[in-house]
Amino acid sequence: MPNPWVFIGLFIIIAAIIPIGAIVVALILGPKKPNPIKQSTYECGLETVGDSLVQFKAQYYVFALAFLIFDVEAVFLFPWAIAMNKMPLYVALEGVIFIVILVAGLVYTWRKGALEWV
Amino acid sequence: MIDLALVLEWVIKSLVVIFMLLGGFAYLTWFERRILARMQTRVGPNRAGWQGLLQPVADAVKLVFKEELIPARADKVIFVLAPILTVVPATVLAVVIPFGTQVILFGRQVNLAVADINVGILFLMAVASVAVYGIVLAGWSSNNKFALMGGMRSTAQMISYELALGLSFVLVALMADSLQLSEIVEAQRTMWFVVLQPVGAIVFLIVTLAEVNRAPFDMPEAEQELAAGFHSEYSGMKFALFFMAEYQKMIVISIIAVTLFFGGYLGPFIGRFPWLGPVYVLGKVVALLFGMVWIRATLPRIRYDRLMDLGWKVLLPLVLGLVLITATGILLADEFGNSLVWSIPVVSILAGFLTVGLVDRSLRRKFNALR
Amino acid sequence: MTIPVSTETLDLAAKFPGIVTPDEREGYSGWIVKADELAAFAASLRDDLGYDFLSSVTGVDYLPEKKLEVVYHVYKTTGGPGLVFKVQLPRKKPEVPSLTPVYPGADFQEREAWDLLGIKFTGHPDLRRILMWEGFEGHPLRKDWKEPFYEEDIKPYSSRWPEGKHSYAEDRNPFNDNVQFPKQFDPEKWVPEGDAALYGALAEYRTTDEDGLDTDHIVVNMGPQHPSTHGVFRAVITLDGEDIVSMKPVMGYLHRNHEKIGERNTYLHNMPYTDRLDYFCSMTNNHGYALAVEKLTGIEVPERTEYIRVIMDELTRIQNHFILIGMLLNDLGAYFTPALYAFEERELILDIFEAVAGSRMMCNYFRFGGVARDVTPEILEKVSALAFDRLPRKADEFDRLLTENEILVSRCKGVGRLSSEDAIKYSMSGPSLRASGVPYDIRKADPYSIYDRFDFDVAVRYNGDTYDRYLIRLDEIRQSLRILQQAIRQIPEGPIQTGKSTYLTKTPAGESYGRIEAPKGELGYYLVSNGTGNPWRYHVRAPSFINITALESMVVGGKIADFVIVFGGIDVVLGEMDR
Repeated sequence: MPNPWVFIGLFIIIAAIIPIGAIVVALILGPKKPNPIKQSTYECGLETVGDSLVQFKAQYYVFALAFLIFDVEAVFLFPWAIAMNKMPLYVALEGVIFIVILVAGLVYTWRKGALEWV
Repeated sequence: MIDLALVLEWVIKSLVVIFMLLGGFAYLTWFERRILARMQTRVGPNRAGWQGLLQPVADAVKLVFKEELIPARADKVIFVLAPILTVVPATVLAVVIPFGTQVILFGRQVNLAVADINVGILFLMAVASVAVYGIVLAGWSSNNKFALMGGMRSTAQMISYELALGLSFVLVALMADSLQLSEIVEAQRTMWFVVLQPVGAIVFLIVTLAEVNRAPFDMPEAEQELAAGFHSEYSGMKFALFFMAEYQKMIVISIIAVTLFFGGYLGPFIGRFPWLGPVYVLGKVVALLFGMVWIRATLPRIRYDRLMDLGWKVLLPLVLGLVLITATGILLADEFGNSLVWSIPVVSILAGFLTVGLVDRSLRRKFNALR
Repeated sequence: MTIPVSTETLDLAAKFPGIVTPDEREGYSGWIVKADELAAFAASLRDDLGYDFLSSVTGVDYLPEKKLEVVYHVYKTTGGPGLVFKVQLPRKKPEVPSLTPVYPGADFQEREAWDLLGIKFTGHPDLRRILMWEGFEGHPLRKDWKEPFYEEDIKPYSSRWPEGKHSYAEDRNPFNDNVQFPKQFDPEKWVPEGDAALYGALAEYRTTDEDGLDTDHIVVNMGPQHPSTHGVFRAVITLDGEDIVSMKPVMGYLHRNHEKIGERNTYLHNMPYTDRLDYFCSMTNNHGYALAVEKLTGIEVPERTEYIRVIMDELTRIQNHFILIGMLLNDLGAYFTPALYAFEERELILDIFEAVAGSRMMCNYFRFGGVARDVTPEILEKVSALAFDRLPRKADEFDRLLTENEILVSRCKGVGRLSSEDAIKYSMSGPSLRASGVPYDIRKADPYSIYDRFDFDVAVRYNGDTYDRYLIRLDEIRQSLRILQQAIRQIPEGPIQTGKSTYLTKTPAGESYGRIEAPKGELGYYLVSNGTGNPWRYHVRAPSFINITALESMVVGGKIADFVIVFGGIDVVLGEMDR
């Protein structure tokens, strides 16, 4: 039995061929008559004012920082979740303590007011 | 050692899965339009073919022959790459899902899964979040303000929901003692996980709606505010690919939900007739998809800062609590007898009601403060 | 509830000697105020006499007398008849102080008067064109302004009647296009001067927040071609992230100069044109216009007709409010289900309109001193089936399905708040005014037709947010049903038309202002007649247009998603806004 990850790699390639093929087919079959008006940026029928790629105010960047931390921590729970009842009791308890720390972290961020839009 | 028959079997299986998703996508659009129409006292597409069954074909033909526009100010490479980046993960998700046990086909034992890897859940988690790159890049490369905002919203949505999604995977891993999807399904032979952990299943279903950008969480393409959001500038086949990604993801996510909580391919007589597996999966998936369409026909859209509140202040604490409850319940059942496993659904439902009550109270306070 | 109506007679000439003189022309009423003292006069009117609601500002071009006149209509929000005052200006240099400091609701109306009549309002903060495009030459409502392919001042044009040598104006243009550009004008190279003024009026672009992070504002055009601006409304919005920093409305994309057309038409000609203002509510549009002309000519309306008119008005109100609720939910992102449920009810009401008027949307049903056709007993039976059974049931169903919906509540409560003071200040009218806690309904405050005979309440809500603007529509549907039920029970037999219906209505010289409580707010028609068969001046006080004045103050500080529902909750129709 070969490594299933080889299959997955090949599957990704096949899966990528379909959309690429679709775009290529459409490129061949579709008409091509570009003009400046057609290619202008859509902004409800008016010419766009100012630059679009600006220093956009992402009002949730604090969430994003918190997300990074919590997401990594959530991954640690997976091995514990599987091994929990094959291991001695204190392993399970350690996992519980870990979750409690996570909760405490969430409460802390919440209390700090980080879970609000800026 | 790779033998030729195995490769052939595998290629056939891959193509079957991919074309099943493609066909599923096409007919899901028809299904959705007809169901929505019936719910809205309309008729829906019924002209192309019997009951409009050829409508997806007509749409596909139209989209293939449309002009592909690339805005002059767009970043052309990324603009073309973005739809591909969105579609591929939506398809690849299906690779680890088991559609049944083993069937005998042409004298061969055929496993009804493309690649049943031992870290299936982690794979799902990883790939599901890749798809957001396509949307963000589409929004950014279009060089359009509506698209940019759509892309930013889709990031926001991802960071609000990924955590609750990951933790509901942990719930399943706890109950099944495995990350391999076929083992998870087998672990549900006695009882579906939706019975054991009903609140977890509900959270998972809510989160998947956000994951696939469906109403009421369709912020990135919020038609009423952002015209079309991240795909404002897309037309023709590239637009169709975004559409395809959304619907394929709907299907795949439903299959995942079925696998994790609704007993996957399990059903009556599955031991005697293993080929019933895919049929059961299909039936359950159609039921879940109907639910998604129903929700779309019913609910208005949540505002996007409120959605982050829901993700972080409601769902995340709730799921963390559920993980604790489930772990404790399993330990208790191990130590003091199997019937204590029923403490899990009971306490979970109580926790669910508590959460709903708290949300209700805080909302009511907020609205009273407005008076 | 009845609002006490004051019966005191005002002698403003004695109160403001040397500033105010009574308007003593034949057929006119009100007061003439000196231009220099206008602001002080208006402030005193508002603060001392309680005329806090500026209903309408418009101008009239008296070409033969070489005068321009600005006409103001003010009312008390506690009820009672209104007050008209005018300022007469030389036609050469028409300048009058702006009333925006006293009545901010004058903002758009003064811009409109500047745009169409060229009256300059000194001290107006942002006096730009509002309905015509920025490069337009001249002021089209001046009587000496002539459109391309001008034929005659008034209809019927002699080329069409009685000779009947009919030809389309467009046919005379080799390009099948009746646009004429001024000389030395190249539309490709032209940059509208208004654009700089418009974008310049918005806030500056770059901000630094407390953490020292630089972010840029972006300027987004919502509309004219946008799915949720209900037509071709355009809002230029500056956004900081998703927050609205400033907003400027731009309108006029659907402008057709309804008023100029109206001045060319004969009185009856104009009735079908009024259908096209608020195309959801052609019956109420007809009613307001008929009322203004009847006031001018003094025609009495028969009893039965009054009942028919009330029935049609209330049916119109019900269907309009149903559609508004459905479309508001659509703006919230509900995928068309509530909207289509609402359309089902509307179709049933339109069936009745079709039965009485022959047409579903563009009814053209009212006549001066009557209506076009009588209502048969079968139609009345249909109406009573709706009014007594189906519509009350459906109103309850909408209530049950929507009012408690968590998403609807959390998205609408506290969004787009407008205090009662601001609502009056900005001349908000109709349901949006009443949702802000001002119980002002013309049907009660200054009754027209036979509304004083019916027993109904003025719906009022007190929070002034979008949720209340939604709830008040349901309240009004229920009140309208009460009126409808009484009207159906009481409708007498009798003639439907006073005298003989004529094509050409001759009116005595004079002015009149007919106003009704249209579903969207106060709909007023201001008519000036010089004694011929065509109006000298025809002005529409369009509720959609004036209600939008307050929009800016309602959306700034909110999110872009809120803009859509606040705009949807005010209830506008572009056909009426742009006229």
